[in-house]
Amino acid sequence: MRRPKVLVGIGLVIAITLTACSTGERVDLGNESSHNLIAAIAGEPDQLDPHKTSAYFSFEVLENVYDTLVEPDENLEMRPALAESWEVSGDQLTWTFHVRQGVTFHDGSPFSADDVVYSYKRIIDQKLSNADRFRAVTDVTAPDKSTVKITVAQPTPNLLSNIGGFKGMAIVQRKNVESGEIATHPIGTGPFAFRSAKSGDSITLAANKNYWGGPPLISGVTFRFIPEASTALSALQAGEIDWTDSIPTQRVEELKTDDSINLGVTPSNDYWYLALNEARKPWNDVRVRRAIAFGIDRHAIVQATSYGTATANQLAIPKGSPWYTEYHGYTLDIAKAKSLLHEAGVKDLTIDMTATSQYPETVTAAQIIADNLAALDITVKIRSMDFAAWLDGENAGNFDMLMMGWLGNIDPDDFYYAQQHTGGKSNAQKYSNPDVDGLLDAARAETNRDARAGLYARAATIVADEASYIYLYNPSVIQAWSKSLAGYQARPDRAIRFRTAALN
Amino acid sequence: MKTFFTSSIVRFLARRLLYSLVVLLGVLIVAFSLVHLVPGDPVRIALGTRYSPDAYQTLRAASGLDRPIVEQFLGYIGSALTGDLGVSFRNGDPVTLTLLDRLPATLSLAVVGIVIALLISVPAGIWAALREGRISDAVVRISSQFGVSIPDFWMGLLLIALFASTLGWLPTSGYQALSDNPAGWLRHVILPGLTVGLVAGAIMTRYIRSALLDVASMGYVRTARSKGLPPWVVTLRHIVRNALIPVLTITGIQLATILGGVIVVEVVFAWPGIGRLVYTAVAARDYPLIQGAVLLIAVLFLLVNLVVDVLYAVVDPRIRLS
Repeated sequence: MRRPKVLVGIGLVIAITLTACSTGERVDLGNESSHNLIAAIAGEPDQLDPHKTSAYFSFEVLENVYDTLVEPDENLEMRPALAESWEVSGDQLTWTFHVRQGVTFHDGSPFSADDVVYSYKRIIDQKLSNADRFRAVTDVTAPDKSTVKITVAQPTPNLLSNIGGFKGMAIVQRKNVESGEIATHPIGTGPFAFRSAKSGDSITLAANKNYWGGPPLISGVTFRFIPEASTALSALQAGEIDWTDSIPTQRVEELKTDDSINLGVTPSNDYWYLALNEARKPWNDVRVRRAIAFGIDRHAIVQATSYGTATANQLAIPKGSPWYTEYHGYTLDIAKAKSLLHEAGVKDLTIDMTATSQYPETVTAAQIIADNLAALDITVKIRSMDFAAWLDGENAGNFDMLMMGWLGNIDPDDFYYAQQHTGGKSNAQKYSNPDVDGLLDAARAETNRDARAGLYARAATIVADEASYIYLYNPSVIQAWSKSLAGYQARPDRAIRFRTAALN
Repeated sequence: MKTFFTSSIVRFLARRLLYSLVVLLGVLIVAFSLVHLVPGDPVRIALGTRYSPDAYQTLRAASGLDRPIVEQFLGYIGSALTGDLGVSFRNGDPVTLTLLDRLPATLSLAVVGIVIALLISVPAGIWAALREGRISDAVVRISSQFGVSIPDFWMGLLLIALFASTLGWLPTSGYQALSDNPAGWLRHVILPGLTVGLVAGAIMTRYIRSALLDVASMGYVRTARSKGLPPWVVTLRHIVRNALIPVLTITGIQLATILGGVIVVEVVFAWPGIGRLVYTAVAARDYPLIQGAVLLIAVLFLLVNLVVDVLYAVVDPRIRLS
């Protein structure tokens, strides 16, 4: 019987090799990046061209690589970034931006106003998905190396949030675009420069010592892709990573009392809603839509989808935002719902509801909604599918009801225009109300902030009263980081900024 | 005798190779048809929210979908044979390079997983078979039943909780290339390898045990025993040797399955293998990448089968003749 001895031998070798390595050691990624901050994100960016990607995973990385002309601070007010200052002409039709001097791209080449013009024209001329943000813009020019002039067709109070709201409006380098390298090796002006990528594993950034906002305090950032939230949390607790936003919501309560990590639970500007397809009967009847709105248990949905970390809201804009409007049009009221259905003369309804496994909250909520609406003798047939198929169904109008969320909203226009204006880009439910259209159009051009807020409050109230969207809740931004990470805070717009982070 | 041996094994191999090529051609046809069989316009679907008429035309032309179907098929076969599998719909990366990037991680996990499975199943299977009906046999049977029934994501999370979180011996997740850092590679591959290996090992243990029991009940084993041969000689020379064929078969099947991607294990351990790549590609309707991955997995399957066939011929001369 010699074989077993060989086996024991192999086992011993493995055991010795293992114990020879020190425990709890961090991933060694080569000398220069061994003191990097290690952040775990839940998936891999599809590509790194900020103008072309739509994936949040990409923007988690690109937030640290690129700059915009202006950018939102922690209260989402627009602040100087690559533009040091700006003025608006008396007629509100010309915006003049004075760009920062002495800024260089990561490859050392100088940044100037021409790069701003190039970047914006690229988005406009190639009709990239963010071109919509330049809708009111008639021209972008650089009269000299330090000035950018943007002319608009009508007063555009949200121009700053349109051009600076997120890194999809980043200032890119012409050479980087024309060589095609931008998709895999982006060159920006931001606090960190792209260094390397390992397919399916990680992306590494190195600190930009020449960053105009001052050099970062850490040597770089390594973004690791850890899809399973339990694994990411274990890695954080074991000290292998410093930061993650991949956190199982059911464990938030337990983590609040965990002194070994920092937990950030911040109300976000995202919102989730239900929409009924008004191109189909009987959902074109406002009474039927209102009946559904009275028939659902919003608090049960919040509890089940987020373990109570989200905040129920009957409008889109969250409490705490300067644009917040108080609204409580609906309560769970079965009698009221039944009488509305009776009034509309419909009974024994069946709803074809689409949900997608990409956003598990839609599947969870659909089950609760099905249960809620059974009390109204409404049968909800849930169709759960992958996101591509779900999107096809939405675009083709092949649904009775759907649940989805909108992310990354800053200006009130972001919350309402595309979704509620007749023929709006994201108006998949085919809602149309001339009063709402008029209010949204007027609000777009209203430069008095209070008057503007009033217009949005009126539009939003009508939208909710007519149940174009049945607003559900605002989720929280949930992130956790190690005790050794300082100078970081979770933001309501989910921008992940490590420029001021320090590792102790 | 020597020439006969050589020619028969060569003929056997040639036949097997030819058979593999036929299968490969079939796989090529299936992979090619994939794009044309799905309902809807694949380019339109792949672009999704990024759709614009310009982007549509560019992608359609770049993927060759605007050409006649016969030309497309011949072009596809031609490029595939030279290693060009097209570019990803999602980000324009060459599919071949993307797949090759992920191959080392997948091979690492498969090899380590199957080695662990063999280390567990061979001794356990033999032990249980030799002690059929006794307590040790029952212990092996019950624990292998556990191994087969525990979902692999649960097993993975348990291993992380024990070895990474509690004991702190091993990292929770991630991958390092063997060529960059052999020690780091080993530390990272053990837990996912163990997860794969425990599941595969449990299946193989049950297989090996019953294969041995089948052989042990044969007449020639009784004859060998009655000749007065020591028990270990009977076990090794007569029982184990003859039980090798089914063991090879199940090992080959398990290895090929792991190579095809163990998505759940890759997700739990953030392992950059082919399984997760395929999963994301399917979610994004990235047809060139799906086609390429299907092709690669099929080739790996065929290779494993070929090796198993060769080993059959080495282990059992009777097979060469049949």
